[in-house]
Amino acid sequence: MTSVTHSNAKMTATATTRVLGVLAIAATALMTVLGLLISPADVIQGEAVRMLYIHVPSIWIAYGAFVLTSVSSILFLRGRKRREDRGRHYDRLAGSAAEVGVVFTGITLVTGMLWGKVTWGTYWQWDARLTTTVLLFVTYLGYLALRRLPADPIVRSRRAAVMALISFVNVPIVHYSVDWWRTLHQKASLSVGRRPEITGEMYWTLLYSTLAVTIVAAWLIIHRYRVIRLEELRDEETLAALISSRLDKDDGSN
Amino acid sequence: MDLTPRHEVEAPDEMRQKMHRRRRRTVLVVALVLIAAMAFITAQGLRNATLFFRNADEAVEQRVELGDRRFRIQGRVIPSTVKSESGITTFEIVHDCVVVSIRHSSDPPELFKSPWIPVVLEGSWVIGEIRNVAGSDTHYFASDRMLVKHTNEYASANEQRLTDKPPEGLLDQCLFEVPAATS
Repeated sequence: MTSVTHSNAKMTATATTRVLGVLAIAATALMTVLGLLISPADVIQGEAVRMLYIHVPSIWIAYGAFVLTSVSSILFLRGRKRREDRGRHYDRLAGSAAEVGVVFTGITLVTGMLWGKVTWGTYWQWDARLTTTVLLFVTYLGYLALRRLPADPIVRSRRAAVMALISFVNVPIVHYSVDWWRTLHQKASLSVGRRPEITGEMYWTLLYSTLAVTIVAAWLIIHRYRVIRLEELRDEETLAALISSRLDKDDGSN
Repeated sequence: MDLTPRHEVEAPDEMRQKMHRRRRRTVLVVALVLIAAMAFITAQGLRNATLFFRNADEAVEQRVELGDRRFRIQGRVIPSTVKSESGITTFEIVHDCVVVSIRHSSDPPELFKSPWIPVVLEGSWVIGEIRNVAGSDTHYFASDRMLVKHTNEYASANEQRLTDKPPEGLLDQCLFEVPAATS
């Protein structure tokens, strides 16, 4: 993931990520065909059930991205005193995963609202699942905002890491909200240790969609990581150029 | 002129430590405020969410204390009881063998037509003698908002057909019979 290390690098792609990119496009195309054409309509919901194939994988990817953010934040906080470059690597990973997590939480909210209008008869209700999900979205937006605040990079990264760990508390609350409270939202469609109540083709389409969205998310995280690294290099170069021009000016005036 | 400082200047290290401590305190205060705000939003949201609806049996049990207050009631629609006339849909819902008669005054969502679909209705109790599949009742529920609460069960429309048969176990313990729907 750290292949972009030279300041003259203009792109974030490598041969591997190009392959991953092509794979992501192909996987998404197949997901679209399976989800929209091959998978059957639901006996009750009819065609509206196709939202399942984007809504459910999106929130799972968001959960996964936030787990990655948290693990990276812990590793950053643990390792920053020993090796600064490792620390910054974890910080970049945390930031890029959180960005992707926020995007997929947004997709979950939008697709959920559209699905809700067709099935529940309303776009929005303040039930436990919807409330905690929107809170998750806002909290991680706050995390991303914190990462943009002007401060010493290490101090800023440390604050962001702490914020990431606080924000993560909401992830299990979102997931289990449908079990802990009475909600309009149905119980989880995919849950560890619980047999899914989805018939064959629909179940396999859902699993495949989760895989396809995972590839897209991995591709996005890698590229965002590299963009963040390039931004850092640009800032370092700008700072070095400013210092050197200032020194030149001082030498000239003496 | 004596320009010697009257007090000893703090060592840079000591100053840095002091600044560091002050900054840490500020960050801690901001973090605490943020956590408190989040807790407040969560509590506000969940206060409504934890009692998002009352099941039909609970709503009947709490009828006296609920009075004419607005609340949400949940139950499965008994298909044979659905009738629609001049913008009013009347039907009965059941939960835990308790039947509630409903008088609904707005357009039901599309999925309402599915037999035995769970619905959440917003409205209040109204006094009025009414007959239902379980006998008779002194109240009915007047609602103006309906939400369909679909389950996490998905079945292919190619393999399964909608039937008027009640979901497994729903009426097993009930002392009344539900008439078949006339289509």
